[in-house]
Amino acid sequence: MNVEITGLTRRFGRNQAVAGVDLRAGPGVFGLLGPNGAGKTSLLRMMATVIPPSSGRMLLLGRDPGSYEPRREIRQRLGYLPQSLGYYPGFTVVEFVEYFALLKDMPARQVPKAVAAAVERVDLGAKAKAKLRTLSGGMLRRVGIAQAIVNNPELLLLDEPTAGLDPEQRVQFRALLRDVGQNATVVVSTHLVEDVGAACTAVALMDAGKIVFQGTPAELTARGEGTTAAGDAPLERGYTAVLAQARS
Amino acid sequence: MSEPDLGKVWIGVAAEVWRRRPGALERLASRLLRSPGLARALLTTPSLLLPWLIASIVVLGAGAAATLGTGQPLVALVAPALAAAAIAYAYGPGIDPAWELSCSMAVSDRMVLLVRALAVFAVNAAFGLVASAASGTAAAVTFGWLIPMTAVCAFTLATATVARSAAAGAAAGLAAWMITVLSGRVASGQFAAVVTRAVLVLPYLAIAVTCTAVTVYATRIPRGTSG
Repeated sequence: MNVEITGLTRRFGRNQAVAGVDLRAGPGVFGLLGPNGAGKTSLLRMMATVIPPSSGRMLLLGRDPGSYEPRREIRQRLGYLPQSLGYYPGFTVVEFVEYFALLKDMPARQVPKAVAAAVERVDLGAKAKAKLRTLSGGMLRRVGIAQAIVNNPELLLLDEPTAGLDPEQRVQFRALLRDVGQNATVVVSTHLVEDVGAACTAVALMDAGKIVFQGTPAELTARGEGTTAAGDAPLERGYTAVLAQARS
Repeated sequence: MSEPDLGKVWIGVAAEVWRRRPGALERLASRLLRSPGLARALLTTPSLLLPWLIASIVVLGAGAAATLGTGQPLVALVAPALAAAAIAYAYGPGIDPAWELSCSMAVSDRMVLLVRALAVFAVNAAFGLVASAASGTAAAVTFGWLIPMTAVCAFTLATATVARSAAAGAAAGLAAWMITVLSGRVASGQFAAVVTRAVLVLPYLAIAVTCTAVTVYATRIPRGTSG
């Protein structure tokens, strides 16, 4: 198991963003669904070792991120795309991806090829030398994805990765997710149910800081069958039905 | 004969065409720090970029000219404030656009903070010494501000780190230095008292050590799990 989480909580002052989450995930694409404010981003930030949990146990890639050396080893094998990707406007696409490859402690000799491969995988070859300030929102999102996959991560954490992508790019991106998920654990936080249906092998649904459903997309779909839950697609009806049940 | 993998060939070509050749300074920093990532992080320090450096030189140059004209040791009073502001704007949320991402990197953000703060301090100390020497002040004034500068920089860094705000750190540092200078003026009748009086060295050092300890504590590695 690449992700083993038990009783994880995170408080921000009086607000409990994550309230006792248990989660286990191996290789594959894992979708993290939920409404805004459900705690998805906080959970992902803890898994990215950006913020520590308030309590609970977390093992990532078999290591405890609470100690310096294991945490460094996790970060070398980690790819992370934050919800809001800050960028240096004067950097080119290649410079940005290269910067984070170096900060991930990749051997300097491997960096140029790894950067070129990552930029090509997100279909930004034609913009490789373009300054980031000249790119559209969708292109910037793809630059963010490129830096996340540049080190061939064993654990890839993506927060709302398809925000700003057009339909064609989203289809390409889902193919990329499935490809990466063959060897790595990919956790995708999203509120777009169709992304989960198309790319994920497993899914968890969060509400009010807790996981209220965990299973396959087919099992989530089944939860909506025979109900009057709202939704335009079967998976959406399952999502709505589980949320309604959790809140009742 | 098997067909060549054109995808792999193209990646090899693209890597060569797109690769960025690091400049002499980055290569030197990479060798000294033994980390290309840390070297790159150092060279992206906002307060070590050319516009900031030019602005610092202009301010210190004006200070040196004013010192020559008025006889007041303006460089000695301005240099610590300038260095403190530069330290506050060396690293942190709001300063580094990709701060959130940087916090998940193998090269620790504490090392980035340390390397950037030391480099900013060294550059500002060098600029200040040149300006101070050029302004024709006595040796006690020329070197006297280095220890107060250390204290002000450490205080600014600690405030910025705890408040997670460069602006708060810079404001606190500048205000503290201004109060110190004015207090020295009121107590002794001389602006230069805060950089020339030997009795102040120990308090300055105590402040520097305490504030450095606060910064180290504030940037400690948080516990990842608990039982």
